[in-house]
Amino acid sequence: MIRRRMLAAVGLAMATLLPLTACGGGEDEAEGGPVELTVAVWSLASTPEFQTLFDAFHKANPDITIKPVDILAADYPTKVTTMLAGGDSTDVITMKTLADYVRFAGRGQLADVTDLATKPESAKLAGLDQYKQDGDKYYALPYRQDHWVLYYNKKMFDTAKLPYPENLTWDQYVEAAKKLTTGTGDKKVYGAYQHTWRSVVQAISAAQNGGDQLGGDYKFFAEQYRTALALQEAGATQDFGTAVTQKTGYASMFESQKTAMLPMGTWFIAKLLSEKKKGTTDVDWGIAPMPQRTGASGVTTFGAPTAFAVNKKAKHAAAAKKFVEFAASIEGAKAIAGIGVVPALKTDEVLQQYFALQGMPTDELSKKAFSPDKINPEMPVSDKTAKVDTVLNEEHQLIMTKQKSIDDAIKEMETRVKNEIG
Amino acid sequence: MSTADTAAPPAARRPRPLAQVVLYTVLGLCAVAILVPFLWMVSASLKRNNEVLTSPIRWIPDEFQWGNFTRIWDQIPLGTYLGNTVFLSLVITLLQVLTGSFAAYGFAKVRFRGRDALFLAYIATIAVPWQAYMIPQYIMMQKAGLTDTFLSLILLQAFGAFGVFLMRQYYLTIPDELCEAARVDGLSEYGIWARIMLPLSRPALASLALLTFVNTWNDYMGPFIYLTSNDLWTIQLGLRSFVGQYDADYAMMMTGSVLSVLPILVIFLLGQRYFIQGVATSGIKG
Amino acid sequence: MADLLTAPTAAPGAAPSPPRARPRRARRNTLIGWSFILPNFLGFALLTLVPVAGALALSFMEWDSYNPPEWVGLDNFERLLRDESTMIALRNTAYYALGHVPLTMLAALGLALLLNRRLRGVGFFRAAAFFPYVTSLVAVAIVWNMLFNPEFGPVNQFLSWLGVDSPPGWTTSVDWAMPAVILTSVWRDMGYYMVLFLAGLQAIPTEHHEAARVDGANAWQRFRAVTLPGLRPVTFLVLILLTVQSFKVFDLVVVMTDGGPGRATLVLSQQIYRRGIIEGEFGYASAISLVLFLLVLVLTLTQFWFNNRRERS
Repeated sequence: MIRRRMLAAVGLAMATLLPLTACGGGEDEAEGGPVELTVAVWSLASTPEFQTLFDAFHKANPDITIKPVDILAADYPTKVTTMLAGGDSTDVITMKTLADYVRFAGRGQLADVTDLATKPESAKLAGLDQYKQDGDKYYALPYRQDHWVLYYNKKMFDTAKLPYPENLTWDQYVEAAKKLTTGTGDKKVYGAYQHTWRSVVQAISAAQNGGDQLGGDYKFFAEQYRTALALQEAGATQDFGTAVTQKTGYASMFESQKTAMLPMGTWFIAKLLSEKKKGTTDVDWGIAPMPQRTGASGVTTFGAPTAFAVNKKAKHAAAAKKFVEFAASIEGAKAIAGIGVVPALKTDEVLQQYFALQGMPTDELSKKAFSPDKINPEMPVSDKTAKVDTVLNEEHQLIMTKQKSIDDAIKEMETRVKNEIG
Repeated sequence: MSTADTAAPPAARRPRPLAQVVLYTVLGLCAVAILVPFLWMVSASLKRNNEVLTSPIRWIPDEFQWGNFTRIWDQIPLGTYLGNTVFLSLVITLLQVLTGSFAAYGFAKVRFRGRDALFLAYIATIAVPWQAYMIPQYIMMQKAGLTDTFLSLILLQAFGAFGVFLMRQYYLTIPDELCEAARVDGLSEYGIWARIMLPLSRPALASLALLTFVNTWNDYMGPFIYLTSNDLWTIQLGLRSFVGQYDADYAMMMTGSVLSVLPILVIFLLGQRYFIQGVATSGIKG
Repeated sequence: MADLLTAPTAAPGAAPSPPRARPRRARRNTLIGWSFILPNFLGFALLTLVPVAGALALSFMEWDSYNPPEWVGLDNFERLLRDESTMIALRNTAYYALGHVPLTMLAALGLALLLNRRLRGVGFFRAAAFFPYVTSLVAVAIVWNMLFNPEFGPVNQFLSWLGVDSPPGWTTSVDWAMPAVILTSVWRDMGYYMVLFLAGLQAIPTEHHEAARVDGANAWQRFRAVTLPGLRPVTFLVLILLTVQSFKVFDLVVVMTDGGPGRATLVLSQQIYRRGIIEGEFGYASAISLVLFLLVLVLTLTQFWFNNRRERS
């Protein structure tokens, strides 16, 4: 029938068409003249770090102007995947997550920047290791690295006559949260707000227990889940089901003073600074190190880097590399630290500048929280990351909504990771 | 078939006051119940962002932020986005209605070999989710050099199977004797389409135009994938730009949503009037 | 197959004609038919049919969206049978369709009948019924989730007032999340299909109603004898569109539950999106699409067949 013949013809056409997109490649450029560099970024208007970096870069390289390719944050990976599949020639691509990076690099869509990554200056870049591929190759360079800290509302601690949360264990954290919980209904204030992401339980547990989230053995999650459920049972945090279904915003919770404590990433600092400046919140806040396991020495938390990569088909590969290098350099770090974003390069000079920001808490506890002893990766990187992530997230929901017991769900995680991903 | 005014049910002919009151009460209650999420949207558009997502929900803002409705014009180029959306929606709707009703005549009133297989191919493709063929389609567009242009979206959405299917079904209800009579009178097939089918299918055309317009207006993924330059963006992209990497400005998003619904309301109120005017068949002999 | 699909109309070619004239007439009809279809078909074939067929062909290959695809035969389909999540998604999608199709159909038809009258302000009520379809999805998700909230949601407060002992957990419960999604989607889509029914009701000539009334038929009998048969082509349209759209459901589920809790509301389109875009296995994602496509095709053909048989009788 017509359809079948058509299908065959089309299949043939596709088979010949698709490989064509793979070759081709970026044209060689004649460096020297003015260059317009295109950089794919997300939500340009609400992510000021990009424009800040562009301006600083243009100042340092007056012959290169930057044209941002603005992509909505929520579906950034979808659009970049599609663009790259079509052979798009945008010069620099921002790597929003490590899982995206692994996929793009694995397909050969990113240019090799190993020479930049192995320069001595790059050794100090936090999170650089996570971009290592095939043993010794790098296809992106991190320019920022966020890690998790405990935000707290100073006024609430003062009112409750509790000391600020220094060196808390998880049990002490739960106790403090219970004491800080007040009011009911509209006036309810939670002692802590645990956001609904699985990292809030799983990544911190892996980081502090040395567990491997890709390993297929997840018993190390159990203790952290007991903490999370205890908090919920005591009514000291918002119920998980409610938080998911009402799309509770952690920023709203903290800024409108509905919670006394909030474990969250350092990216929230920039937002708090700007909201206070605008006057939309008057919360008196500080940061403390994440609570630790009983008997643990030092402060261990987790974090995730963000990087720039050069498109293999970049029109201006040399200029693109220059930009990637600049963003990770001390000039780039200072530029973004100036607006409260945490750079991957954390030298003393950068830190000093960071804490000199207007509105930044300057107490010792906050400084200590900013430089933990160890920052483990939020999630190990491999081609299985995305799949394991899905499985762990699904079972996380079942534990937190109490549809499954902790032990059953952990067993289920183990079987599913074994069967579905292998 | 001679004249058919409208299928007005008896209730409208013999007005009974009590029945009217009951009817309006029932309709009014239903309308309010149905509109609850819309009311929330309006309420959220008048709040500060960190007051939007509270539980339990607060329906009335502490302080009405009427400023949101002026602020949004400064935050995003809403005028440009609205203009783009209006342009795309109008062109796509026009083409869809025109080519859809034209093709539908071929499928409903002309008999030829392979017609039904072809029709099946049409509606079968509706069954394939866009996520599945989005990338092959994009690669083709990129090869044609059409990405980041309005033309790509127009081509993509104006020739959908939906309009063809919809119009074909309505044409099936129009008796064939009508076409036969016209043929005897010496009208060509194109004449029959233009002079008989189009006027007869006004309610169907109105519903097709309305639904196509609304779907194009509210489409997010299509413009998101194909339109990269900010000055080509549509209103839905503008609304999503309030979602950042870690948080979202829901107040602004709802403000924009309220504004973007208003044109649809106008279009709907204009279009729905065709559902009561009925089929104006007078003058055509059956 | 062609016979089974034939529209039950006496089209020009069907008129009895002398055998010799037939081929010419058939050719002429083919030409005319194609000339009507071509403007739409050109755009459709090039921009939709080709990529769709290409995507379906990919289900026999392994493809990362960039490098040349590799032929793997039926591997993707074997994997599909072993992939628990895909099977769950398939089951959930069928569950969703079974609830969504009939309920939306009834609600839309009910609304159309209720609002198909000369009534002051009917435009407002029609607009109100249509508004859920244009209300921001985020608003829809937040408000319905609030209505369904197990503790303080009005739905459960009403249920306990009725004397239900332990009202369901709705979107926070594995068993009740899907019914909650179905109810929300019925609420959202009914106005859309109401528009189609309203247009369909206009096509029924008034004199048929009049004639039935003269014969002494009551409202229900007139509905059975006049309205329903007159609406058949539209009902068929709505049925097919609803079926197709139910099997493709994506947006609403993503914003309302994102497939959760666990995999309780995971649907096929989501699985295609995850396996393809997120995990980068486009061949496998295509295989799932092909299964979805065939499933809907079989359902559509069955409906076609039933429809035609009913038309003839």
